[in-house]
Amino acid sequence: MKSYRDRSTILFQILVYTVMIFTLMVTLIPLISMAALSLSSSKAIVNNEVFLWPKGLTFEAYRQIFTYPNFFRAYGNTIFYTFFGTAISLLVMIFFAFPLSKPALKGTKFVLKLVVFSMFFSGGLIPNYLLISNLGLTNTRWAILLPFAINQFNLILLINFFKSIPIDLEEAAIIDGVNYAGILTRIVLPLSGAALATVGLYTAVFFWNDWFNGLIYLKSSQFPVMLFLRNIVTGTSMVGEAAGVGDKSAIAISIKSAVIVTSTLPIILLYPFLQRYFVKGVMIGAVKG
Amino acid sequence: MKKQEKAKAYLFRYWQLYAMLIIPFLYFLLFKYVPLFGNVLAFRRYRPGMGPFGTEWVGLHYFQRFWGDPAFWRAFRNTLVLSLLNLVVNFPIPIVFAILLNEVRWLPFKKAVQTVSYMPRFISTVVVIAILGELLSPSTGIVNIIRMNVFGQKAIYFINEAKYFRWIYILVDTWQYTGWTAIIYLAAITAIPADLYEAATIDGATRIQQIFYVTIPSIMPTIMVMLILNVGRLLSLGFEKVLLLYTPDNSMVSDIIDTLVYRTGLANQNYSYATAIGLFSGIIGVILVSSSNFLSRKITGEGVY
Repeated sequence: MKSYRDRSTILFQILVYTVMIFTLMVTLIPLISMAALSLSSSKAIVNNEVFLWPKGLTFEAYRQIFTYPNFFRAYGNTIFYTFFGTAISLLVMIFFAFPLSKPALKGTKFVLKLVVFSMFFSGGLIPNYLLISNLGLTNTRWAILLPFAINQFNLILLINFFKSIPIDLEEAAIIDGVNYAGILTRIVLPLSGAALATVGLYTAVFFWNDWFNGLIYLKSSQFPVMLFLRNIVTGTSMVGEAAGVGDKSAIAISIKSAVIVTSTLPIILLYPFLQRYFVKGVMIGAVKG
Repeated sequence: MKKQEKAKAYLFRYWQLYAMLIIPFLYFLLFKYVPLFGNVLAFRRYRPGMGPFGTEWVGLHYFQRFWGDPAFWRAFRNTLVLSLLNLVVNFPIPIVFAILLNEVRWLPFKKAVQTVSYMPRFISTVVVIAILGELLSPSTGIVNIIRMNVFGQKAIYFINEAKYFRWIYILVDTWQYTGWTAIIYLAAITAIPADLYEAATIDGATRIQQIFYVTIPSIMPTIMVMLILNVGRLLSLGFEKVLLLYTPDNSMVSDIIDTLVYRTGLANQNYSYATAIGLFSGIIGVILVSSSNFLSRKITGEGVY
């Protein structure tokens, strides 16, 4: 094991660990810093005393956003869109992917070609907008729940997973007189936990993080929390910067940070548990676009 | 008669699958193919309340219009410059990161770095830009505080200045996607047979030499495929990120094709004009994807799609 003790190897190991520690710091410091700001007194913020640890610990910012009805409504909207959007999406995609995972079914090849083609060439912003407004969905919550239910990438992921379930199971079930609806609910779905979790999580993250579709399709009472945050940033940052180093800007900063923390925390808390599914998903996705 | 019976048996076995397929398929056509055909609006005049496909044919009118529009060419140039710069910087970084991460022997630490480095991919772009805005704020941002107090320099309003826009965009992209993209390279590295490394060790190769003579050559096919994919997606920048970073002061570099379409289409309601611009960039995108896929077939023997 001479090579491990060689000088360049030791230097290289030092480099490796330095890069990794740098990565950890660069990723975590912005997030920790937001948490610290959200818990600090405005006096400490004004004096630029807050960095990674809250100073003059106070829950004032959280008290303020939790008593601010618009925040609660936006947060509720986001939960609503995430829950129902993901449910609709999974339902539609399961019924779409299951028949398409049967190569013996005539016509599936053609439909699959249509799916892949639409991944590369799509309607673009304006035709999509005009479709949704002509369907009368603008200013209704359906504008968020319906149009994004089918994601071609996730669909292909599901199809590939359904295909990997042994065909013998299906043949045996058919001999036993089970029909395809039974095969789907009793054999395929119980075996597809990992794939459904992956697709469901991708979809849920999409709905949780979306703001742009809210901006162009919804009215303000229907805005999701990310759009609410974006409006705080564009609206109050002007006040904050214009007012200079005043009390007002300090409060704006701690409130902004509190909104950032509350709207991101669910994802950060959930995601380490779901990591293995996500990673599996990206591997399948890497092969098929 | 036999044929008919066969068809009957086929339908008897599969009718439920067709029944399942029909609603999702129509749903798919409605939300993916109706907008796709909605692109004809680029050749037609739009009248409010007269349907999404416009009212009369005007030929290439809107294309000629944007062809002579300096705002379009500015957006086109900005898109190209930002995409290419982003590719040059952010294509190699995940590869280097994956190779270095693979050299970490202390497994709990390796796992921790992995978990943390994937995380930004799941954080909303709004949140990322909001955090960035606070960190770079001229009055309270940590970057400017350090600049002022440690180096005695004047505060800079980074977000608002045109000359910083491209680097801000690119570094945010690095922050968001390095760990996530590295997953693919890490998987390729894990798949390298261990005896290659053993043989190299016996030949007296150091860890660094092993990286250059074993690891990198072994993941070269993956690198090529990813490069082709990235070239194919060259024009699809992170539209939301650009829109969030967009200010009138940095618009000379931050106005890309997507933001131009958004502004002319949705803000000024020039639907046909904006559709024409969107269609043009969409067609370039298709050409890029299919030609890079064609090249991939030629070079590596297999296409990505």
